[in-house]
Amino acid sequence: MIEVAGLTKYYGTVPAIEDLTFTVNSGEIMGFLGPNGAGKTTTMRILTGFSPASWGTAKVAGFDVKENPLEVKRRVGYLPESVPLYTEMLVTSFLRYAAEVKGVDAAKRSVEVGRVVERCGLTGMEKRVIGNLSKGYRQRVGLAQALIGNPEVLILDEPTVGLDPAQIIEIRAVIKELAREHTVLLSTHILPEVAMLCERVIILHQGHIVAQDSMRNLAGSDTMSLTVEVHGAKDAIIWKLQTVEGVRRVVPEGPEVYLVESKPKMDIREGVAKAIAAEGFGLRRLEERTRTLEDVFIEALSTEQGGMV
Amino acid sequence: MRNTWAVCKREFIGYFITPIGYVFTGMFALVSGLAFASSFLFFAVVTQGPTKYGYTGIPKFEETLLSPFLVFCGMLIMFIGPLLTMRLLAEERNRGTMELLLTYPLRTSEILFGKYLAALGLLLPVIAVISVHLSIMAYFVPVEPVILIFGLFAVVLMGMAFISMGLFVSAIARNQITAGTMTFGIWFVSYVLGSLGKDLPQKIPAPETWSAPVKATLGFVYSIFRQFIQELPIDAHAAEMAKGVVDPRDVVYYVLFTAFFLFLTFQALETRKWRA
Repeated sequence: MIEVAGLTKYYGTVPAIEDLTFTVNSGEIMGFLGPNGAGKTTTMRILTGFSPASWGTAKVAGFDVKENPLEVKRRVGYLPESVPLYTEMLVTSFLRYAAEVKGVDAAKRSVEVGRVVERCGLTGMEKRVIGNLSKGYRQRVGLAQALIGNPEVLILDEPTVGLDPAQIIEIRAVIKELAREHTVLLSTHILPEVAMLCERVIILHQGHIVAQDSMRNLAGSDTMSLTVEVHGAKDAIIWKLQTVEGVRRVVPEGPEVYLVESKPKMDIREGVAKAIAAEGFGLRRLEERTRTLEDVFIEALSTEQGGMV
Repeated sequence: MRNTWAVCKREFIGYFITPIGYVFTGMFALVSGLAFASSFLFFAVVTQGPTKYGYTGIPKFEETLLSPFLVFCGMLIMFIGPLLTMRLLAEERNRGTMELLLTYPLRTSEILFGKYLAALGLLLPVIAVISVHLSIMAYFVPVEPVILIFGLFAVVLMGMAFISMGLFVSAIARNQITAGTMTFGIWFVSYVLGSLGKDLPQKIPAPETWSAPVKATLGFVYSIFRQFIQELPIDAHAAEMAKGVVDPRDVVYYVLFTAFFLFLTFQALETRKWRA
């Protein structure tokens, strides 16, 4: 549904993104993850036809963004990061305007507006002035205007930023729901959000893709990591743990806390416990660590920079 | 076409859900009303004893009152027109809605004409206000309808020209205040230049000792410069038209002026799109 090849954008001489290549399949919900300034918004702006790429091609539903911008824009619903809205308008008049410029037939506009209002939980807010709405409701209006005309692709730039926890949960539920009928490209710098919503993830850092995989592959791993808290001489403990069969490396993480990583497909829990007990160190805690997206993220960034942390 | 209408409608309604439309219409009604009343009274006084005011007989009503008043109405748009044009594109950029506008399936030309027509729509209340003045006047004095029609036509042409330039400035300015100030500045400078231009001497006073070719070249450059200064200001072409004398060149001037600035606005929008 979305095909991007060699996409590069320079602001003056500063590269915002360099040589991005990825595809988003039809019906998929793809997460765009990266710290601020990684190039998420830039990429989305290129895909929506708001700003041009310096090099490379981007296609949405088979139409090139550069050559057929109107066809692309007809198929994309976009929620910009800052959620710009015509603050002096009423919610419904704004949504009707969006329906009109998106080419919804005059006869169907009321129905369409009604549909997105209900979808985004704006019922009862139709006659309110947008400028008087709370941040959470503005976000919903922004999402509603993106949904008008039922576009095949939704591009949502940080849709949950600035909302309170309850609102975040609600908006996420809406997005999850939307993913059934739309192809969604969603950007965020909140890790659990991606884990919750997305099937696949692209991790961006400094304008480059550092990892691109399904959530399962990224989060799952065949190595085991343990957090071990041991009382005793640091060097002796590290030296001892490294000799345990199946241990790949030992990293001190804090006072008396160590990270122990296994080689692939090895269970090292018992071996580690025995080794510590045999040497007479005080074992206080031994815990298997599940790999979070955060680990993936940090790992991806560190390999990108040419070495482990 | 439908999209142009959609943009235009939103923009036009926008004038009236914010105070701008009312302020513009109100200011216009107030100032043009004051000008109309005072010049009407002045004319009435003059007719009582024309010789006291340097006239040999009772002056022609159309020439001394009506046409100057209509041109004045056109000039009034110059003073309050920035209110209309400054927000058109600068506001979209300033509050980020440009990002929505440019990602909706709209052509640049649809955005451009939608915005332009909306601002032009504010000439309707202007014409309504002038019509009120004129119908009061028509009750007292019989006037030639030709003059009325062409007078209003001149006002509309002036409005078209002012607004097209204002739209352009709004397209290049970063925020509304800059857009408004710049628009007014440009209009005002061209107006002042125009009035100064009327006093420019026919020939450049080059020293006698200069050789003939130099004088001829200088004279040529000067004549173009003088022509330019005199023809450029928006009001320069309205005065005759408001008297009912329509020179096609004057109409062409306004049409070209408007087309030129709409073209520049189009280019400004397109290049912004590619740089943004």
